[in-house]
Amino acid sequence: MKFAYYPGCVAQESGRELDLATRWVCRALDIELVPNPRFSCCGSGFVDEANETLNIALNARNLALAEAAGLDILTICSTCQGMLTLANVRWRDPAVRAKVEPALAQIHVAYRGTTKVRHLLDILVNDIGAAALQARVKRPLTGLKVGAFYGCHLLRPADELGSESAEEPQSFEALLTALGATPVLYRGRVMCCGFPIQFVKPETGSRIAGRQIADAKAHGADAMATPCPLCHISLDGYQNQAERVIGRKLSMPVFHLPQLVGLALGAEPEELGLGRHLVPTGPALAKIGTAAVV
Amino acid sequence: MAAAAAPRTPVVAPFEVYRFDPAHDARPHYARYTLELAPHTPVLTALLKIRDEIDPSLTLRYSCRSAICGSCAMQVNSKSRLACETPIGPEIERHGRIVIEPMRNQPVLRDLVVDQSPFWARYASIRPHLVSDPSRPMPVGRENPMTPAEVDRFKETPRCIACAACYSACPAVEADPQFPGPMALAKLYRFVVDPRDGARQDRLLRIQREGLWLCLRCHLCTEACPKDVRPSERIRDLKEMAVQAVGVTEPGSRHAVAFAENIRRAGMLNEFRLARQTFGPVALLGQVGQGLRIWRKKPELMKRPHPIEGLDELRQLYDALEEPSEESR
Repeated sequence: MKFAYYPGCVAQESGRELDLATRWVCRALDIELVPNPRFSCCGSGFVDEANETLNIALNARNLALAEAAGLDILTICSTCQGMLTLANVRWRDPAVRAKVEPALAQIHVAYRGTTKVRHLLDILVNDIGAAALQARVKRPLTGLKVGAFYGCHLLRPADELGSESAEEPQSFEALLTALGATPVLYRGRVMCCGFPIQFVKPETGSRIAGRQIADAKAHGADAMATPCPLCHISLDGYQNQAERVIGRKLSMPVFHLPQLVGLALGAEPEELGLGRHLVPTGPALAKIGTAAVV
Repeated sequence: MAAAAAPRTPVVAPFEVYRFDPAHDARPHYARYTLELAPHTPVLTALLKIRDEIDPSLTLRYSCRSAICGSCAMQVNSKSRLACETPIGPEIERHGRIVIEPMRNQPVLRDLVVDQSPFWARYASIRPHLVSDPSRPMPVGRENPMTPAEVDRFKETPRCIACAACYSACPAVEADPQFPGPMALAKLYRFVVDPRDGARQDRLLRIQREGLWLCLRCHLCTEACPKDVRPSERIRDLKEMAVQAVGVTEPGSRHAVAFAENIRRAGMLNEFRLARQTFGPVALLGQVGQGLRIWRKKPELMKRPHPIEGLDELRQLYDALEEPSEESR
């Protein structure tokens, strides 16, 4: 398996542990990741708000770069996944192409619309498969109760972006089960993490994050896991603010999806950057008999 | 064929219905009712059967039973739905039971009936009517027609039946009373793009100050809407129109514009720079503690990103497309 690797900004910057864990997992599973130094940011939904046409053009350029390399794109971020897919959807509209194609032509880029955008979660569950993954598990996550947190742009709008039911998604829970963990079902798993307004109105953003974390906790989760580094910033990086706003301690470790896969496949916590989290992952690691990273 | 006959075979439908009468109950409880009904039976029909045959005190709103009036929105297995167009079969298949609760984000008056006054107050706040421009008075005594192309700009917004399913599903409404909610904003969009309206500029200026940018673009409203109004997409349109028409007036618009400018610089996000631009020097001071906390674990936060290859091309794209789009003019 070979993909154009689209890590997105955060995994190359403050969320570098996500890139680390992704590379480890893909090496272990023979998924070849081909980096492309020409890829730009997906706009993260913010560029879309300021200028929709520009946002489609940025992403059509990314899609065209992968197309020229003859590869589909692998993403590790729900938001990148959503924005690139949205560009693919909008691309089908001739009125949109009429605006974007001339701009792309100026920089000698032509996009034929053939690039598929796949999130790592989708590839693990649908291409590798739960059974094959389970057969590779060296350190089953037995006893660890995990609340999956999908991230909006992986699911919605379902008719345009979703690869599974937006209301009752199952892929993440199927993955967790294959790794030996116990998935926890809670309403917040398909809700918003509050990230988009963490800079606009931090108190409201953190209240929303706190609500989802508290929901996972109330349903018995020892930890949460997310396929989106922006959700990770909101749930892990700002969890202290969420605690302050909702007025109670949460102490909820939040994993990036490939970190849990890596742990189950036998990676050491340091190889997955587990010491870089704001909320210590130690208590969750102890549940599966692994020493904490300081 | 068996498959065609299957929907007529009754299934056991275990209902758990939220009950609360503030005059008598200290707290809400869930009443259980088990019915046998054909799988295609709408939830509303089942609830009326419960009311008519088992417990006449069950209180709910409904009227047309045809997904037109918007009265019977409620939570069916935690999802905002019109009860009259939600068949019981798939719910039982998926959840093994049907949990019925009132809509969220609105105080319960009794059982499934909520107090909708906050919802309507927010709707009223966007001035859901044409406002005339004194320099361009509306014609009196004759029609003020629109072309089909102008009508198309409303997109799906005229379909809204004000059922409040979106309002119930919205996490921003839940977390912040300042947010007007998806329905009010979708309606606002409809007036902003109406060529007969004279208050476009004022509407955009006001809404930018009154919570437009609290939308999380989580699209839960678009998922909940029974009429495919797609409020989250129209809110996106409003944001772009506001940025183009009235510029940067508060943190939300500043963040979106700064983000776009940020990507122009290196092709990748500069996280620290973005925080500095959005918060501004004063508010940024309040973020210093949090920034240091994150920086200790993630020192890359302060590093400038490596510029992408082909940055010149990207900047050319910006130059070509940074003109306001047709919709936003």
